[in-house]
Amino acid sequence: MPSSNLFSKFKTTLYKNYGENPGNMLVHTGVLGWILSSLAQVSAVVFNDKIPKEQKSFLIPQEIADAAVNIISFYLITSSFKKLASKLVSTGKLTTKPIKEFLNKNKVTDKIGNYDFNIENLPNFKDIKGEYKPFKNGIDVIASTIGSIISCNIITPVVRNQYASKKQKQALARMNVNTQQLKSPRGISIEDYQKMASMKHSGSLKI
Amino acid sequence: MSSLRTYAIKTYQNFLNILPNAEYSNSSGIKLVHDAGEKISSAEQRLILGATALMSQPFIDAHNRNVDENTRRVSVARTIAKIVAGTFTGFFIRKGCIKAIKAFSQLPGPKVPKYKTIFTPKDITKINSDEFIQYRNAMGTIVALIVMMFTNFAIDAPLTKFLTNKLVKKQEDKNAVK
Repeated sequence: MPSSNLFSKFKTTLYKNYGENPGNMLVHTGVLGWILSSLAQVSAVVFNDKIPKEQKSFLIPQEIADAAVNIISFYLITSSFKKLASKLVSTGKLTTKPIKEFLNKNKVTDKIGNYDFNIENLPNFKDIKGEYKPFKNGIDVIASTIGSIISCNIITPVVRNQYASKKQKQALARMNVNTQQLKSPRGISIEDYQKMASMKHSGSLKI
Repeated sequence: MSSLRTYAIKTYQNFLNILPNAEYSNSSGIKLVHDAGEKISSAEQRLILGATALMSQPFIDAHNRNVDENTRRVSVARTIAKIVAGTFTGFFIRKGCIKAIKAFSQLPGPKVPKYKTIFTPKDITKINSDEFIQYRNAMGTIVALIVMMFTNFAIDAPLTKFLTNKLVKKQEDKNAVK
């Protein structure tokens, strides 16, 4: 049966990719979380009958742009933190005593910190695998957690506020030039518009 | 394209050169790192994110000078409510789904019903390995994310509204006493 085959492949792929890389799993499922949460936000607008059609044409692109800011900033920041931490461990910049001794024994201390050097490619890597893997996984998980905190709780809200403020200014400028051209939001004051934007951008629902 | 890659690698290498070499020798520190790799699943990460969000996001909203004080107060209340509701459902649904996946990803055997192996990948011989635990976390998280697409509306949104109203009312009562 094709669908059961597909599910079987999915399970195997998940096991192979994330079994040894919990840090990657946290980054990728984090991105998936943001995508699904954004989809929920957009569909909440699309399927809401109480929102007039002309307002939807204004709100939907805004929701999509908001989602793009959330997803891109989360991925860029979290994966950069995770990749840097991985590189520090795989090139031997960040080690434990047994790993350092292993590198000394292999006479590769001059290669420590080289971009192309990777401890996992050494011929006798299996001798240190038991010590190296849990250390690398732990560092990866800590780095991706710190990256997520910085991204979700500091950078994204600030970027989103800046974006909202830019959008407000653009809309207000259009209002001043020609109020006839402004389809939506119609008939509201500048203060009301700023309040609405502030409420909308005070942190999206994250799943 | 390749020259761009060479330039990127060179920049990365220069950055690596700036960083000092570090060797962990503290055994409790190493244990903490190992535990983080083994025990922090997406559920624990969501809890950490929620706790740190409570320390930063209301502060950012409270200092938004683009809006008047009243709007700022409501916006802070709504942010706190969103974080509490999102963290509560996010943590428990992830935990629950990971637990459920554990129950339905057993090793096939004569005494094990087929439905209990529905999430077990092919050719698995060991289910107590770290790799398999991470697989269960990943699968549980993916299932949880799908579940949360619905609970986002069914639980998070009404809970956020309820908590926001409570927090705003508390603030108003406090102001009335003053």
